[in-house]
Amino acid sequence: MNAAPLIRLEGVGRRFRSGTIEVEALRDAHLEIKPGEYLSIVGPSGSGKSTLLNIIALLDRQTSGVYRFEGSVVTELSEGYRTGLRAHRIGFVFQSFHLLAHRTVTENVILSMLYNRLPPKERKPRARAALERVGLSHRADFRPGRLSGGERQRVAIARAIATGPAILICDEPTGNLDSASTESVLDLFDELRSDGLTLLVVTHDPAVSARAERTLQMHDGRLSEPS
Amino acid sequence: MTSARFRARFRLKDLLAEALAGLFTRPGRSLLTALGAVLGIASLVATLGIAETAGAQIVTAFDELAATSVVVTNERGFFGGETRVALPWDSEERIARLNGVIAAGTMAEVNLAGRLTSAVPVNDPLGLTEFQVPMIAASPGLLAASLGELSSGRWFDSGHSVRADRVAVLGNGVAQRLNVTRVDQQPVVFVGDDSYVVLGILEDVRRQPELLNSIIVPEGTARELYELESPTTVQIHTEIGAASLISTQAPIAVSPDDPGAVQVQAPLEPEEVRADVEEDVNALFLMLGGVSLLVGAIGIANVTLVSVLERVGEIGLRRALGAGRRHIAYQFLLESTGVGFFGGVIGASLGVLVVVSVSAVRTWTPVMDARIALAAPLLGGLVGLVAGLYPAWRASRMAPVDSLRAGMG
Repeated sequence: MNAAPLIRLEGVGRRFRSGTIEVEALRDAHLEIKPGEYLSIVGPSGSGKSTLLNIIALLDRQTSGVYRFEGSVVTELSEGYRTGLRAHRIGFVFQSFHLLAHRTVTENVILSMLYNRLPPKERKPRARAALERVGLSHRADFRPGRLSGGERQRVAIARAIATGPAILICDEPTGNLDSASTESVLDLFDELRSDGLTLLVVTHDPAVSARAERTLQMHDGRLSEPS
Repeated sequence: MTSARFRARFRLKDLLAEALAGLFTRPGRSLLTALGAVLGIASLVATLGIAETAGAQIVTAFDELAATSVVVTNERGFFGGETRVALPWDSEERIARLNGVIAAGTMAEVNLAGRLTSAVPVNDPLGLTEFQVPMIAASPGLLAASLGELSSGRWFDSGHSVRADRVAVLGNGVAQRLNVTRVDQQPVVFVGDDSYVVLGILEDVRRQPELLNSIIVPEGTARELYELESPTTVQIHTEIGAASLISTQAPIAVSPDDPGAVQVQAPLEPEEVRADVEEDVNALFLMLGGVSLLVGAIGIANVTLVSVLERVGEIGLRRALGAGRRHIAYQFLLESTGVGFFGGVIGASLGVLVVVSVSAVRTWTPVMDARIALAAPLLGGLVGLVAGLYPAWRASRMAPVDSLRAGMG
């Protein structure tokens, strides 16, 4: 496969300062994600998983080290390019779904295409295709309130993949789901993976991380391959 | 490597659609939010409309009556004391010669020294048959100058005055009290011991309303019987636009020696009157409207801020999906502007309705500058825009990480 990494972290760290107290949430992280990889990061809460995820997802900036996304050093990019990368190259799935309750499933999926350069005409077909991909075509006109938790998370996944991102970043995607729904979401991840999508899943559930090809551990802000 | 093709963009159409969606997901709340702007705009529009309507109404009224009326008197007014000149008996002719005068007439109240007026004596022990009725000595032209109307009979002419005929015209009120309803059989009324043949009954006047409650006799008659010294008042009916000129000429005509000795009541210029009225009404109510608009703006700002805090999750999501800070700010700014704008539309409609209702009740013609009604929604939008500045700024400053954590939606 293409050897050029999609994401490369070189000694990335993140310090938070609140008043006089300084907390080092992430220390000296080294990481390479290649296109098509399925990677999971596990660790107890407070270990810095989310900090790492937010930096990789360009929602936050590291305080030290170098982060390259598709070869570009992201700290050298303007805020406009960073948001642009989020709109075009990165798909997000959150623990709490973040669907807009007043809009239909299709409208929720379309939301992810509002901020990129896709021609507006393509939005609806793409949303339909994404919903079909996650097996929810029959729910296209429902409002999220009438869907089960597993279905809602699949809508969120459809929203994330509709833009055709390079990587899908998932933050505790099964944290709010029962075991049956968890299973269906994980099956979907496997399918997406076999379609060639790069997946990064952060979780504290060993059952979820077990499905990934590669698992990294976070502990006290340190990222390590499990022994 | 990362090229411009990945720059985030947000189409104007999408921005509008998102803002509208934000407005209409909670229509009830949007409406309540807009209420302050509605009231403010409504009171502004209503104020301006009513002021304009009333102004136009006053001008119409002045055109008909006051703008063509000039009154010259030799009375010194409330604090006046002695009169300084006597108006000449031929004042009517002197004034009527002036260019722009349609009609002129003189009048003076006659001192009856307590004489009572009665109709043909009827011996009715229960009914009151004698009344104290004021007598006015008038010149022939007064009927036309006071825009009077006779319900029957005729007004006296200069011949009656010259001969000092015992004739009279009864004001409507007096005729009713004396039970004189028709004059074709030449009814007679008595003032003290003197009898007068009733020539006519005065139905209505538009000026000098005291004529309606008086018995009116020719000046010559009053001079002979009651030693009337001079007319006290000249009522002039001018052509439209001539009033101010006549008001300068009339004193010279009736009192060439000392024009300043007589009093002239002339109408204000219509434009002045309208400006005065509008200014008075406007200053007060515009202030009220402004205050309610301010309160409305604070309301919009408040609710928009609450809405921003409520939708933290949505903001985080949008940021994660590639919305820049600007996009978030624009969206909330446009939402509050929309609230203000729709508030302005509703307010302007209400304001126009108020103007029309008030006009209908007072039987006025509603007059309003269409630009006010059209500008009102824009003003509302502006208020919304200003009100949304701070909430939008707050929304745009939220870090996506925190907002995604906080919002469960």
